[in-house]
Amino acid sequence: MTTPLESAEPAVQAAGPADDRPARHGTLRYAASKAGGALFSIAMVIVGTFFVFRLLPGDPVRNLAQGRNMTPAQLDLERHRLGLDKPLIDQFLDFVGKTLRLDLGTSYEYKRPVLDLIGERLGPTLLLTGTGLAIAVSLGIWQGTRAGWRHGTRFDRFSTGASLVLWSVPTFWLGLLLMMVLGVGIGPIPGLFPFRGIESVDAPDGFAYVLDVASHMVLPCLTLVAVVYAQYLLVMRSSLLEEVSQDYITVARAKGLRDDEVRRRHAVPNALLPTVTLVFMRIGFVVGGAVTVETIYTWPGLGQLFYEAVRVPDFTLMQGTFLLITVAVIVMNTLADVVYHFLDPRVRSA
Amino acid sequence: MRKWLARLAALGVAVLIAGQGTTAALAQDPSAGKKILKVGATQAMDSMNPFLAVRLVSTSIHRWMYGYLTVPDSKTLQPSPDLAESWTTSPDGLTWTFKIRQAKWSDGQPITADDAAWTFNKMMTDEAAKTANGPAVENFESVTANGQDLVIKLKAPQASMLENPVPIMPKHVWESVTDMANYDAEKYPSVSSGPYIAVEHKKDQYVKLQANPNYWRGKPKIDELQVIFYDNPQAAIAGLKKGDIDLIGRLSPPEFEAIQNDPNIEAWNTQGRRAAYLQINHGATTNDGKPLGDGHPALKDLKVRQALHYAIDKQKLVDEVQNGLAKPADGSIVPPLYKDWFWEATGEEKVTYDPAKANQILDDAGYKKGADGVRTMPDGKRKLEFRFSIHTDTPIEDKLAEYLTGFFKEIGITLTTKKLDSSKFTEETGVTGLFDIAISGWSVNPDPEEVLATHLCSRRPAPNGEGGGTESFFCDDTFEKLYQEQLKELDRPKRVELIKQMQERLYTQAPIIAIYYTNDLEGYRKDKITSITPIPEDKGLLYGGSGYWPFYTVDVKATSAASAGGGGGSNTGLIAGIVGVVVVLGLGAFFLTRRRKSTADERE
Repeated sequence: MTTPLESAEPAVQAAGPADDRPARHGTLRYAASKAGGALFSIAMVIVGTFFVFRLLPGDPVRNLAQGRNMTPAQLDLERHRLGLDKPLIDQFLDFVGKTLRLDLGTSYEYKRPVLDLIGERLGPTLLLTGTGLAIAVSLGIWQGTRAGWRHGTRFDRFSTGASLVLWSVPTFWLGLLLMMVLGVGIGPIPGLFPFRGIESVDAPDGFAYVLDVASHMVLPCLTLVAVVYAQYLLVMRSSLLEEVSQDYITVARAKGLRDDEVRRRHAVPNALLPTVTLVFMRIGFVVGGAVTVETIYTWPGLGQLFYEAVRVPDFTLMQGTFLLITVAVIVMNTLADVVYHFLDPRVRSA
Repeated sequence: MRKWLARLAALGVAVLIAGQGTTAALAQDPSAGKKILKVGATQAMDSMNPFLAVRLVSTSIHRWMYGYLTVPDSKTLQPSPDLAESWTTSPDGLTWTFKIRQAKWSDGQPITADDAAWTFNKMMTDEAAKTANGPAVENFESVTANGQDLVIKLKAPQASMLENPVPIMPKHVWESVTDMANYDAEKYPSVSSGPYIAVEHKKDQYVKLQANPNYWRGKPKIDELQVIFYDNPQAAIAGLKKGDIDLIGRLSPPEFEAIQNDPNIEAWNTQGRRAAYLQINHGATTNDGKPLGDGHPALKDLKVRQALHYAIDKQKLVDEVQNGLAKPADGSIVPPLYKDWFWEATGEEKVTYDPAKANQILDDAGYKKGADGVRTMPDGKRKLEFRFSIHTDTPIEDKLAEYLTGFFKEIGITLTTKKLDSSKFTEETGVTGLFDIAISGWSVNPDPEEVLATHLCSRRPAPNGEGGGTESFFCDDTFEKLYQEQLKELDRPKRVELIKQMQERLYTQAPIIAIYYTNDLEGYRKDKITSITPIPEDKGLLYGGSGYWPFYTVDVKATSAASAGGGGGSNTGLIAGIVGVVVVLGLGAFFLTRRRKSTADERE
């Protein structure tokens, strides 16, 4: 991410010169105010989470019983165990206090601390969605740049068309399609990749284990990339198109620079800014995993955990995962704001 | 273009190298030569602790792991010896003495009556230990052990004593557990007395079980039983087709049709243990008799319920909603699989599809049709417009609703569909009574007492909405009397007769209308499983059955070294595992070419 900074002069030219020193202080102050805002949002989310999940229909204890005949004594015991027998305000204070101490409670269903469950699932989620995001971002930026630069060519039309189709295809359907074609195999195409879980049940050790996990990642990753990369492509393409019409590009060209260089050194760094925001916002969601993709491929991540929690429904688990995801999104949005501010002088002077 | 060809070639080489690596790795697979059965499950395990676990998949796994006092006989489904090798009952039916078999736990310790007594006493004294099987010990006065003799004293006679659903736990392992509610029992290998020992459990991924060498019937034929979890049924079907799993149960008709024409798969279609029925709000009340909910008053009239029954073309529902994979119901909630208990209406009593008769009944009872073709109550106040509550996530119920709407329109009754998520559904149809007609269904155990008990007065919710577990808000003196009588009746044929009379009462009073008995649909790999005995043995169930019989008798081909990993074609192993390498090499190659290009730019 250093390149855009080093080559930010054209943008400065475009927006008028900015005073460097105060702006740095400004960035700190800006970051502090943004962080304050984020903390406030998180506090609101904590409050909101508690009440929203209590508005949901169904008695959690009865849901846990799953239609079995339970004596009132058993129901009372469960209520007591889950702290549901206390007045709402006590439950609320309890919840806030515990959340601040990073105690997200015990899952109704798994009977284990929610934080432990989340901890177990965070790794697989970051691996899958992180890899997926990295590929989607690189592919999207690369293809978007080409498409924008060679605007109107066959490559452009193909890229935009293909990405729009993938963007609009339902993830579930695409996932199943890939599973059938590349997982089970159709006609002469043999089944190539596993489509369940993160590893084989009898997973080997050492390097072979790495390969095993990698092979399990192929289909979920492919599905994830196929459906999300379009937005990077389209944003990159349109912001590059905008830059191309700017005067400084004409100037750069007039200097006799090679087309390739004008693109890489001048146009792309400026066009990257909106994409950066998008990437940061996405990272927030990455933490939450990709519920659909994880569910299709039984990937043991947070998305799957959330799905399972909703299915039961397991209120503490839902509450915990929901809280984590929201906080991640807020934090990443704040970071995006700050980084954007740092990268783009136009925001600073505004 | 040439550059791209070069990249593709590099990718090809990477694939080959990776493939070689995987093959080498698979050759050393420790599972090679072992007999492993992989069972697919689409429901995740809730707990490994049998005192807490309630889900079907969990209780199935516990049935493979632990011994019970008795098990259903593999031929007749009647109770037969398991950990209890014999038993006697006192003349008043209040004292039961079970002789516990001389056998060993999987850790070598002897199994004694003390283990069984501890298990039951734990449940009687610790509310948390009652979570899974509480009702089973409710009628127990005391449980004591004397050597190999287990003595259970009851508060009242209980004919279903021999279907006790509680797994016997090893006292020497479990007595140190103080906080039962929060104990997840994730300790491996487990100490068990059944055919299998759990050795590993990865949440929502798999459970590995190994054959128990100390099992009293003798070690199972296979070495390992793996239960592999899928979040999504389509993936599980795909897994079966590919050979990642060897057996899967509980399929829906469309899922079953997807495996029907696969030459490697045996599509297992047999009578099931489930009945699907309509639950009718005939005036829901609390257990102290206060009216509850907002059911349509017309449904309190037995005539209206009977007319509804006559208007349903059950054969059509079987053919078109269940794709022919069910049997139309002319009885109540006990499916024909249980030959002994099954009751079917005959003669005058039998309700067959007859819309004319349904119309006649309603006409005679004074429900006049209006100008719009919809009937009104005899007092003219309310139209016969009923709501039909179904689950949001079950497409087959949507289809059922469409057909029922059509059938009822024929007799001047409007039906509107009300979709509810499962928690709301349970609450409205089982506790608050906010429904007119609702879909329902139940999997029935070899002894139908418990499922019939869901229609007792006492199962209605208390005034504060607590307790309960009713299926119909039914409260009928005749039904109650028959239930009490069968409880005391230790003579099996006489008890069977009483249970049949209870079913008849449900059929004629119509608080529920059974529509069909769904088939048990399963599938397994013919090329992997060499033999498996269903329960009951003639044409019974596999995964969906009660007891461990199919999984004790199953035999499979040993895993060959070549296809160890995937279980499927050797291509899977060869080409799988590449992407990490491919991506790394591909990206490496990509950046390398870029680097070289950029230095070329620089030089220019």
